[in-house]
Amino acid sequence: MAETLVEKVWNRHVVEQTDEAILLYVDRHLLHEVTSPQAFEGLRLAGRRVRRADLTFATVDHNIPTDNQLVISDPQSRRQVEAMRANCRDFGIPLYDIQSGRQGIVHVIGPELGLTLPGFTIVCGDSHTSTHGAFGALAFGIGTSEVEHVLATQTLWQGLRPASFGIEVTGRLAPGLEPKDIVLAIIRKIGTGGATGHAIEYYGTGISGLSMEGRMTICNMSIEAGARAGLIAPDDVTVEYIAKGERPFAPRGATFDAAVADWKTLRTEDEDSFDRRVTLDASTLVPQVTWGTNPAMTVDVTGVVPEPENVPFAELDDARRALEYMGLVPGTRVTDIPIDVVFIGSCTNGRIEDLRTAARVFRGRKIAKGVQALVVPGSEAVRHQAEAEGLDRIFLEAGAEWRQAGCSMCLAMNPDKLRAGQRSASTSNRNFEGRQGPGGRTHLVSAAMAAAAAVTGKFADVRTMLS
Amino acid sequence: MEPFITHRGRIALLDWTDVNTDLIIPARYLKKIERTGFGPLLFADKRYVAGGAPTAEKPDEHGKELAEFPLNDPAVKGATVLVVGHNFGCGSSREHAVWAVMQAGYRAVIARGSKVGFADIFESNALQNGLLAIELEDADWQAIADAARRHVGRVEVTIDLREQTVKLHSHADSTADPVDTRFDFVIPEAHRHRMLHGLDSIGETLLHDPSISRHEKTLPAWTVPSS
Repeated sequence: MAETLVEKVWNRHVVEQTDEAILLYVDRHLLHEVTSPQAFEGLRLAGRRVRRADLTFATVDHNIPTDNQLVISDPQSRRQVEAMRANCRDFGIPLYDIQSGRQGIVHVIGPELGLTLPGFTIVCGDSHTSTHGAFGALAFGIGTSEVEHVLATQTLWQGLRPASFGIEVTGRLAPGLEPKDIVLAIIRKIGTGGATGHAIEYYGTGISGLSMEGRMTICNMSIEAGARAGLIAPDDVTVEYIAKGERPFAPRGATFDAAVADWKTLRTEDEDSFDRRVTLDASTLVPQVTWGTNPAMTVDVTGVVPEPENVPFAELDDARRALEYMGLVPGTRVTDIPIDVVFIGSCTNGRIEDLRTAARVFRGRKIAKGVQALVVPGSEAVRHQAEAEGLDRIFLEAGAEWRQAGCSMCLAMNPDKLRAGQRSASTSNRNFEGRQGPGGRTHLVSAAMAAAAAVTGKFADVRTMLS
Repeated sequence: MEPFITHRGRIALLDWTDVNTDLIIPARYLKKIERTGFGPLLFADKRYVAGGAPTAEKPDEHGKELAEFPLNDPAVKGATVLVVGHNFGCGSSREHAVWAVMQAGYRAVIARGSKVGFADIFESNALQNGLLAIELEDADWQAIADAARRHVGRVEVTIDLREQTVKLHSHADSTADPVDTRFDFVIPEAHRHRMLHGLDSIGETLLHDPSISRHEKTLPAWTVPSS
């Protein structure tokens, strides 16, 4: 049978193959401060070195305050950031530290720096490594033991190749709809474990019409459907993204031409080769809002909070626990749910296009009384670009806070957190209990919908707010 | 890591679906740069009364345990096999989740459903650390879960990694499970071999160094960073 994109990328990285295990070569290894310190400790204890420091790149993102990056008041956070610095220094690994001009969320800076390229295998001790699949790379999250293994050997042992899951997105998004709505609708359709053991390939007109930023949003949340990875075949949009801009590690000149010739072969020959297939029509989508405690617990903004008996993929008790945690009554209209905090940012929606989308909604409007809105660029480069375009002034004039780059309120590891009982409209990726702070209640939405919620004070259908 | 050959122990049941790693170990505890001290932090936001969760610096100083959290039942204290629902360990890749489960005293986790019991990364992290992650067919899992509900804290299993079986031990006082029952599971051979012998996978991989170097010689120029 003809090879899929995943098979092509997989096969060219096989170093050795036994009956049940494959030693896979890693082209790029990305590090951040949270999941790497114990790996370096392991190397030190065993007296091992980093095999390819030139293929390994680090940044600091999870612990970094976004009001003032220079002051990390939590001693544990400070210690972790300092450990990253010491480990990079000791093992000769380039570190994109704060104030370097290129610091940011690891999955935002990889593509910006030209580290993320089609056909690569890319790993990082972070589940949202799936983001890089938007370039046609096989990119996936690993644990700390595997981080240590890659540092020492530049390879990983893998079981059998993941099964392939073709998701065709037909049609095109209507105004007010965002790539985030596509991926939330997919997770809602297949469940949080719907793609376990699979690598997803997204294709179709609903994907090819998207920018790289939009594609990254979709691949980013592949893990929320349980997928090991999510890929999109490289095309002219991909090539143009890599060719343009200041990407110090992207190939240039004749090397670039050779690369492009290779990338053009990276596509699935026959869609019938996928082990599984699902289709979603983007043109009929309505903005999506999660109501519960996992990303499959999602409804249309025009809908209501469901009865616990009618929650797909959840046992009755699980659905009841979710409703109770979220403090929601079945039958409540989504547009009647008030919010306290808005977070626009993260590796899902912290790129320039997301900020432009939010700015279009904020322009000429004020955020609702009592609402706190954080706009957090995913990287220093995104921050500079947004400021060059004057987006920061639009956010500030609307009454939102314009922050420095980092993971911010995605995961409650830095000072940006929800307090118990606070409810957020968030462009991040996980609405798990306590994810944005113990007792916090998270609703996942697109950047457009988050901005609409900020100015309305409750969820609003952003389609009615477009000029 | 410690080899896993056979293990006999009591089971504790947490019959929840889609338990994510943020729930298993909240992100604020990931600031530690050591591998130890995670046991008391397992399920910290579910396990203790409001405000009673410990800090990462002082994991042993915590408030009262919440009676309604299933793993706080005095009858299941000391259990060494954790029985869980579908898609356990989904979400974040944090290996701290596996460290927390192990450091809380569990040697194995039995999840519901073949191929859907565990999220991929959690399963991989578990096997890297010698925590046996077993997926059982739905009916087999139900038999164990039902026994756990009938005899809370008194159900014992024997897990044999050589045979890849879980034996559910009988209860003399029960008509529902009068005899031992055995269920089969499968662990990928490479992982099974490493766990049985407690092998360090890096040491093993370094023996393949010539193959890795050979592969590196075939890398096209564009794959190597240009600056």
